[in-house]
Amino acid sequence: MNIAYLLLLAPAPALAGFGFLALAPFPMTRRPAALIGAVAGAAPFFIMLPVLFHCFGGGCDPAKIAPIMTLTFGETDVALALGLDGLSVIAGTTVSGIGALVLLYAVGYMAEERGRDVRRFFALMNLFVAGMLSVTLAADSIVFFLGWEIIGLCSFFLIGYYTDRPRALVGARKAFVMTRIADAALLAALLLLFLEAGSVRLADLIPAGVAMTPERQAMVAALLLVGALGKSAQLPFQTWLPTAMVGPTPVSALLHSATMVAAGAFLLARLAPIFAAAPMVAGVTAAIGLATAIFGAICALAQTDAKQMLAYSSISQIGFMVLALGLGAPGAAMAHFVIHAFFKSLLFLSAGVLSHSAGGSTAIRALAGGSARAPMAFLALAAGAASLAGLPFVTAGWYSKEAVLAAAWDAGVIGKLLWLLSLGAAAVTAAYAARLILAAAAPGAMNAAPNTDDRHSDDLARPSIRAPLVALAILALLGGVLVGPILHLLHEAHHDLAFIAVALGAIAPLLGAWVGYRLHAGGDAWLHTPFMRDARRGGQVDARYQAFVVRPFRRFKNRIARADPFEIRLPMPKVAAAEAEAAPIGGLLRRISRWRRARRPIRIRLPGWRAAEPVARLDLVGQATVSAGTFITRLATRALQPDRIDVAGTGAARAVGGFAEFVRRVQTGRVRDYLFALALGVGVLLLFA
Amino acid sequence: MNAGLAFVFALLGVAASALAATRTNAARAVAFLLASLLALGAAFFALDATFAGALQILVYAGAVVAVFIFVLITVDSSARAIDQEGRGMRQAWPAAALASALILAPLVFAPVPADPPSSVTPSTTKDVGTLLFGPWAIAVEAASFLLLAALIGVRHIGGRDRNEEEG
Amino acid sequence: MMGGTMLIALLAASGGLFVAGAFGLVSRRGVLFQLISIEIMLGAPALAFIAAGAYHGNAAGQGMYVLVLALAAAEAALGLALYVRLRRGAAAEGSVGDSDGISELKR
Repeated sequence: MNIAYLLLLAPAPALAGFGFLALAPFPMTRRPAALIGAVAGAAPFFIMLPVLFHCFGGGCDPAKIAPIMTLTFGETDVALALGLDGLSVIAGTTVSGIGALVLLYAVGYMAEERGRDVRRFFALMNLFVAGMLSVTLAADSIVFFLGWEIIGLCSFFLIGYYTDRPRALVGARKAFVMTRIADAALLAALLLLFLEAGSVRLADLIPAGVAMTPERQAMVAALLLVGALGKSAQLPFQTWLPTAMVGPTPVSALLHSATMVAAGAFLLARLAPIFAAAPMVAGVTAAIGLATAIFGAICALAQTDAKQMLAYSSISQIGFMVLALGLGAPGAAMAHFVIHAFFKSLLFLSAGVLSHSAGGSTAIRALAGGSARAPMAFLALAAGAASLAGLPFVTAGWYSKEAVLAAAWDAGVIGKLLWLLSLGAAAVTAAYAARLILAAAAPGAMNAAPNTDDRHSDDLARPSIRAPLVALAILALLGGVLVGPILHLLHEAHHDLAFIAVALGAIAPLLGAWVGYRLHAGGDAWLHTPFMRDARRGGQVDARYQAFVVRPFRRFKNRIARADPFEIRLPMPKVAAAEAEAAPIGGLLRRISRWRRARRPIRIRLPGWRAAEPVARLDLVGQATVSAGTFITRLATRALQPDRIDVAGTGAARAVGGFAEFVRRVQTGRVRDYLFALALGVGVLLLFA
Repeated sequence: MNAGLAFVFALLGVAASALAATRTNAARAVAFLLASLLALGAAFFALDATFAGALQILVYAGAVVAVFIFVLITVDSSARAIDQEGRGMRQAWPAAALASALILAPLVFAPVPADPPSSVTPSTTKDVGTLLFGPWAIAVEAASFLLLAALIGVRHIGGRDRNEEEG
Repeated sequence: MMGGTMLIALLAASGGLFVAGAFGLVSRRGVLFQLISIEIMLGAPALAFIAAGAYHGNAAGQGMYVLVLALAAAEAALGLALYVRLRRGAAAEGSVGDSDGISELKR
């Protein structure tokens, strides 16, 4: 008996749970719906466990395949299958395990929602678990892409879970569109690989990808990278993740931190050999990962909202994974994937409890007093934050982060620079983690503010909420022992760091934590510096894009069309635009535009160009382009000035009209006449035949 | 199998069809339609196409004609309506005859095909089944979708509008 | 056993059926009569398919017959539903079941 066949059973319970909850034709109250959802969603974990132990016992070498079915299209066989190897088992077990714990938590957390909503929630969560498992376990590109799209769809529906909140709907749409762009790139890459290999098996696609000509290989790798970046909310796609936090806390914990957004990193790990063969793209990958890690950490430091902080923290941590993948260390990336899943879901779940004890507010300031109101949740949050900060030796986060840093250290001279920068990012990470904990530890009101959600904090002390917190806290602290076996399972040597590197790596988080403490103790003034305000909005990428690309383009377009020489007011808040222009990164552009405005309008006269409208503002490039364009058009049309072509065209149109009038008489509207014509036509055709 | 017998039945069917197409009384037209369909069914049996013959009688002569009979109830069979129908037909027949002649003309010139090899065996119902549910499965699926579409269409077209309820 | 002469005779009979239906379709004004004519016309290919299938000893003839049957059933159901609909609309105006009355598309 091939143990790989056990994998076929893994997504099945979740899928069945989704089918039952979504389609059962009778109303269901809250309790049975939650129960079915949790049991069905947790079942895959207990199927994955024996597979995992089998794997640690050496059963994963060589990789095994469990075929699902084979479809034949013309000359191509599409063999759908699940694969058993180290990567799929590690990711699959992590996903199903976190999924089980989060669903258990959700049983308690969602206890006050309406029955219909609870049913919808658990149905989608089950579908998500099934989709994520098919992404991680897939042995062919079809199952992989199917799962990839399913998790995207579930993400869309779950972000927009509160359908009566406009922000939720906007966030859902944004996430959907952003990831869709990236998914198109992924689809293109998979199709190119399929054309190259003539097979959908990943085991065939990867060698085919490695053996391609360098140009095509770079293209395929770049497209794959775009797909992964979009799903994982890496630069420049990061904007959807912070707005995706409007969904329920379990959704943020499972989809938007631990599993779904990490699917991009998993994709890169799965197809790592292709990236190893395309060093240019791998370098870009590492650079983007590092940039995202730093960017996310700084943005997280600037947040005043706990959920937003955790969102940017996810972006940043996945940046570390992408960095490791770009450096050709998928083992380190996957180790960090696993550990990050532990501590990030723990952080979200415990922050959810704390924010409820604080009256439903997720602001960091509102967490004050949390340690007294919900000590259990506070301890869990502390464990998670310590792991996130990577406190040396006692937390799991330190070991996995160390693995990533070691991969950078060993990557030559540039690697040392990357190592230093990522060490900086790690220090900032420790700073914001410390900020979060210190805020929750600060003395605050013992009694919660008026509870907006009609939820009582003693509801959140039930075992279904406590148990996942305890389990995840233990994993977040002691999960470091897993790093070695994971690296071993993925056939990656553990990099041994020089003593100085280890020492610096241990000092950085402590230093960061101290900075966090100083910031916390020093009041809020630093949060209001322009730089921090900018970072709090995630660099205001959206507003900047609007201000510096969309608006000038529309202005230019309007000028070309000569519809309105003055710019059209856009449905964008004036304040946001002004702030975008006032922010430091926009400073240079602002200065340029101020310099341009200071000059008097200059009119450039070209032959054939009339100054039809007062020039609102000097725009040398725009003006020149428009002038040249109108000039050329005039030249081209001068020969046709008494417009003969027009006259001829009108005449032809009139003739057509007259003919139509004539032909119209044939249309009697009588069915018989049409049938007669039909019969005549058939007869004539038969004569020709 | 007896092809001669089949031809006789087919001629009967043509005659019944011609009568059905020219009756001015709707009930009689439907009766001749039924006769024509039954004659065709008999011809199928004579050609050893037992499956098709059975279907012809059950589905065509049974179900389809039954639907026509339901609709007959609503037909205006007053003398005035019958007379009007007859007058309309007397006006229009030359055109119809012209079209019919045009369609029929090529058949006159059709070559007589050669006799097939003597080893031809009649196809059984089992053959038809293996054909339909093997290589033609897609066509059968398409036909079933057609029927489903017809079902929904009939429900939609035939159902009363909400604002028609009182009228 | 069926000869080539017999096949062409049956095909001619099938042609006769088709023409009888076509004649009815063009010459009649009552919608119900036209629907009956269409049923007759659909019988013609059915006969032709069966005859050709018997001539070649091929099951495809009967297979095609089944498809024709499905088409005829769908056609009859939809046609009669349209007829019922027309009558319901026309009952107020007095012109009943006359296909010349339904020329709204022209206007």
